Amino acid sequence: MSERSHVVPTPEGEYFESARFSGLSVILGIVAIFGLALSLLGAVLSPEQFAYSWLFGFAFWFTLCAGAFFWIIVHHAVDAEWSVMVRRQWENIAMLLPLLALFFIPVILFRQYLYEWMLIPRGGDHLLDAKRAYLNFPFWLIRALFFFAYFAVAAFFFRRFSMRQDRDGNPAFTLTMRGMAFVCLPLFALSLTFGAFDWLASLNYKWFSTMWGVYIFAGAAGSSMSLTVLVIAGLKRAGYLQETVTIEHFHIMGKWMLAFTVFWAYIGFSQYMLIWYANIPEETEYFILRNVESWNLLSLLLVIGRFFIPFAILLLRATKKKPAKLCMVAGWVVCMQILDMYIVVLPELHRAGVHMSVLDPLPLIGIGATLAFVYLRVAAKSSLFPVRDPRLIESLRITN
Amino acid sequence: MAAEYASAAALYEAAKKVRDAGFKRWDVHSPFPIHGMDDAMGLGKSWLSAPVLIGGITGLLTAATLTFGPSWFIYPLVVHGKPYNWKTVPAFFPIMFELTVLFSAFTCFFAMLIMNGLPRWYHPIFNWDRFARATNDGFFLVIEARDPRFTEKEARQLLESTGGQHLTVVHED
Repeated sequence: MSERSHVVPTPEGEYFESARFSGLSVILGIVAIFGLALSLLGAVLSPEQFAYSWLFGFAFWFTLCAGAFFWIIVHHAVDAEWSVMVRRQWENIAMLLPLLALFFIPVILFRQYLYEWMLIPRGGDHLLDAKRAYLNFPFWLIRALFFFAYFAVAAFFFRRFSMRQDRDGNPAFTLTMRGMAFVCLPLFALSLTFGAFDWLASLNYKWFSTMWGVYIFAGAAGSSMSLTVLVIAGLKRAGYLQETVTIEHFHIMGKWMLAFTVFWAYIGFSQYMLIWYANIPEETEYFILRNVESWNLLSLLLVIGRFFIPFAILLLRATKKKPAKLCMVAGWVVCMQILDMYIVVLPELHRAGVHMSVLDPLPLIGIGATLAFVYLRVAAKSSLFPVRDPRLIESLRITN
Repeated sequence: MAAEYASAAALYEAAKKVRDAGFKRWDVHSPFPIHGMDDAMGLGKSWLSAPVLIGGITGLLTAATLTFGPSWFIYPLVVHGKPYNWKTVPAFFPIMFELTVLFSAFTCFFAMLIMNGLPRWYHPIFNWDRFARATNDGFFLVIEARDPRFTEKEARQLLESTGGQHLTVVHED
């Protein structure tokens, strides 16, 4: 019953014309080729630095795409109304997960530089032997394959069903996807948690934290919501979704950004405080490394930049109701996610302090440009919103 | 001057007209919240957030005083090998968080009561027996005589033109 009750979406939907953006596409392609080629050169010249830089870039993009996947399944599981308008973009972003499986191959190839535990023979360290049942290369590889197979298959089917509903408008697809979402939620929790343990926490096999999976998840969900804000604002700026995505949708996305800013801080601090207070050597190792020398500065910047600044700004309703301002905060949060992943991965290589390498940004840019390049193609394949979703009108008229 | 409306939609449309007519002291009553009614009534953002912010900051400062005061100045003591300078602050964060939330919640609750003029035992509108249906199936719009723009004739015309039924002048006693 809002003032906009007369707006009715075009039944054919809105289509992203990739021809209009062929220039951008070419630029992205060139950047991707250069980024990846230079990374490859780095892999030959300085394999150890390359391994860490690649893992850092991979982890950043993986968390963003996995976060988008999370928002799809939450949307279906809770039968949400508002997110119908933006759901197609999550589906498009989640479709990049199979591509990320490809980008995981360098991590497998360069594993001996990253994961010390793969090199230590049985009997070499009792701490490791106690964890051998879990931390062994074949099982690690099987898990990775399972995680990527799950993400790829689930993302594929969510998008496929959603697109088939575009054609025939059959509400049964909504019910099917809701059922799928209930299966996918626990599998997602397991995949992201153990993926985070396998790929990031096990950089130091002695360290452990039961909150690690949730910590990575909190960063992933918040930053992918920020990415959504940027993508939607970008599409609007290009002239799409003018009538359909409104200030109300931005307001809700801003609320989610605020919620996950607080959640990230809550999880991050809980993990830190318990370890700091208990003061047990095998646990404190992780934070000591990141709070000495120049790493301390970056850690402080992360706490202030990922929590205090966005929290204070997002608390104001005026920020959430102004897409331009919200985009600035969203861009900042995405940058902070880069910093977060940097602090997670790189200190394990440069234990003496921050040591920026030219190789650090290359995989980040190379992977990112490739993903963006593919994204432009994926986005053009279907309408920019699910045109015949049964909840489309509700989403269109949402007020909050 | 009170009027009853047939449906939530009718009340919503009427509210927009009353808003545009420039009335300030008036209210609508319905058995359930109506989406978009805030805009239709021309209500701006609530000022409740201001006292809540002040309450929250007070809570934060109280917690800071209660933790830093004793452990830095009054009775410095090494606990668990932790230093007693600003680096102890992680141990105090939970207390700061809790008191911030507690003070905010209390301020929010009591400020809401005060801003709504509560507690109030009786309101003249209850003198109108039809109004009992506001918690059941009645949709009401009430313009108060205190409104500077209020004249009985004008209010009656406006409410009639928007489809109001059972127009009644409700008196103070």
